[in-house]
Amino acid sequence: MRMEWKHRHVLDLKDWTREEILLLLDQAKNMDDLMDRPIKKVPALRGKLVVNLFFEASTRTRVSFELAEKMLSADVVNWSASGSSVGKGETLRDTAWTLEAMGADAVVIRHGSVGSAHYLAKKLHRASVFNGGDGAYSHPTQALLDAYTAWKHFKNLEGRKISIIGDILHSRVARSDIRVFRELGCEIVLSGPETLMPLDVKALGVSYEPDPRKAVSGSDIVYLLRIQRERQEEGLFPSLDEYYLRFGADLDLVMHAKQEALVMHPGPINRRVEIDSSVADGAQSRILQQVRSGVAVRMALLYLCLGGVMA
Amino acid sequence: MILFKNGKIFDGQAFHEGLQDVLVTEGRVDRIGPGIEADGAKRIDLGGKTLSPGFIDLHCHMRDPGFEWREDIRTAAAAAARGGFTTAVSMPNTDPAIDNDALIRYVIEKGKAAGFARVLPAGSVSKGREGKELAEMGKMAEAGCVLFTDDGAPIGSPRLFRTALLYSRDLGVRIMEHPEESSLSKGGHVNEGRCSSLSGLKGMPSSSEEIGVFKAISLCRETGVPVHVTHLSTGRSVHLVREAKKEGVPVTCDVTPHHLCLSEECVIDSGFDSRYKVNPPLRSKRDLEALWEALSDGTVDAIATDHAPWHLDEKDLPFPEAPFGIPSLECAFAAVYTEWLGKGQPFGMERLMALFTKGPASILPKGWSDLGMLAPGSLADLVVIDTDIEDVVSVSSWRSKARISAWEGKSLKGWPVMVFVEGKPVYSQQGEKTK
Repeated sequence: MRMEWKHRHVLDLKDWTREEILLLLDQAKNMDDLMDRPIKKVPALRGKLVVNLFFEASTRTRVSFELAEKMLSADVVNWSASGSSVGKGETLRDTAWTLEAMGADAVVIRHGSVGSAHYLAKKLHRASVFNGGDGAYSHPTQALLDAYTAWKHFKNLEGRKISIIGDILHSRVARSDIRVFRELGCEIVLSGPETLMPLDVKALGVSYEPDPRKAVSGSDIVYLLRIQRERQEEGLFPSLDEYYLRFGADLDLVMHAKQEALVMHPGPINRRVEIDSSVADGAQSRILQQVRSGVAVRMALLYLCLGGVMA
Repeated sequence: MILFKNGKIFDGQAFHEGLQDVLVTEGRVDRIGPGIEADGAKRIDLGGKTLSPGFIDLHCHMRDPGFEWREDIRTAAAAAARGGFTTAVSMPNTDPAIDNDALIRYVIEKGKAAGFARVLPAGSVSKGREGKELAEMGKMAEAGCVLFTDDGAPIGSPRLFRTALLYSRDLGVRIMEHPEESSLSKGGHVNEGRCSSLSGLKGMPSSSEEIGVFKAISLCRETGVPVHVTHLSTGRSVHLVREAKKEGVPVTCDVTPHHLCLSEECVIDSGFDSRYKVNPPLRSKRDLEALWEALSDGTVDAIATDHAPWHLDEKDLPFPEAPFGIPSLECAFAAVYTEWLGKGQPFGMERLMALFTKGPASILPKGWSDLGMLAPGSLADLVVIDTDIEDVVSVSSWRSKARISAWEGKSLKGWPVMVFVEGKPVYSQQGEKTK
């Protein structure tokens, strides 16, 4: 029943099939169960060297990857951009070759440039690349942890409706979630100010509804995105207060979705900008479950792509 | 003396019937006809291959002076020759900018010393290419400048553009505009549309270019001074030129090989490979079709390369960090010819060839009116094309200093095999192979 795992890298999930995603979710379930054990560590990646290469500030993604790597017994090196050779002007090409010379088996990269994970993968001859977020393009592990969170609750995601509200234009989370949830058979509606939408939403295979109440109507999942303060400073919407009034998720908005709908957010949340505390801390919120899913999903990915052995 | 035997002769506008001979003496075409014999002439049997006026590139970044690690006049002229170009116009966005007569002479002299394709300089419209004050256009025209342009950017303001047109009316040197409304495109990397939406890369909307084209046409109409708009990439841009030409506005335009052959899908499919990063960006498939339509109906006057070489280390970066530019001098004709074949030859071969010869020649000052043609008395700038040869582009073998190009690894058909400038050989495919 088990298929051959063919992916060495996790870049943008563009060529992942539904079966592969489901297999990954299955594997994540095993890892999730492992997290309940008194000793949360297995020797699956013992002797493997994983480098976490973070060019952008990140707390939860970096910590989540590090936890996942440690629970699988990999050797972990954290290589941050500040105070390293990167700060001295080293190019990504040279950094890549340096890491490989040191014997890295896997590199987790978070970088502000779209395509940086693809670039790194082209330069590395042996190591696996895990995209921890590249510019506004892709954040595949976030999308898989979101899918896992939803799948754990609903079992089958086919035909589910998801509304994503916020800054889609600058969001790698939105692009990756659209990719994964569509592959799993979901229908997706975007909402938010049109100044924060991509020009061609049809190319993404989704629809756009400016009124968030209409957008969430009939939704199984209401997915909220973080609003970056600098977008307001760029003049893409007039004020955070007006954003909250028009697009912020309060109990009234969530009432327009299905009764049992889940509320998700990639974090960190801005209370009373895109989400009210009554929603963030309410019964439908899955925000903290998403964090836990992140560790399990990243363990599963590392395990499958690095060909680990379960004891 | 050179005697070409049995060639399929293209004269800049049309093909001659059957196979003909061409006799070249003292750097000029002497006679064309069947069965020519000449004692003491070097005989070259073309065996049915095409003999055409050498190609003319109106838009070439030679990076000299100031950026010689990317390209210099010698390597650009050598690369041009290999691509079948016997004349290439160098762009003035150098360091310092080519904005005075001494620098115009520098380019001409360095081009002559190189001894490959003829290098003709474009001078900047504004001093230092800063978009504020007029450069000494009169002195530059006198020294041999063939185009004025602030290329790399549009002319600083509509007012400066208008002033430059009025001031240069009697100089006989055309202004070439790079159409772009920077407030819309600033910070962008790719076409605004499918590519920007899928990738999250900041887009450069079509409107940015189209507003620039509209501005150029408007000023051209009002002043009656000819304007050339370069590297048009959208369907709307060429349509604006089409309508203006119908009205009799003296506007001309060119398109590049990459905008004719590559679309934004290349950026997406390659996982954002910087070899496809160029300004204006590779556009939609629909735009690409509209450009071919504009070649077909005569809206487009010339194909110009916008050859833009970079050092490997500068270009081999993640997409958003890499600079704009696709080098193509050495494969431009084959790229367009292959695409034309692939499209089922949507118009006659003579139109395609004219876009590399007669078309661009007509944009140059009157003193160069015998370029782009093959007739008794014309300069013997000639290219022999073998339309049967198919070859894979290998940038590492280029005469250009560029080492990254969108064409790397592409299999293309229709290659120049011999090139002559004023009767002097500047490229031979066989010579190249033994090198």
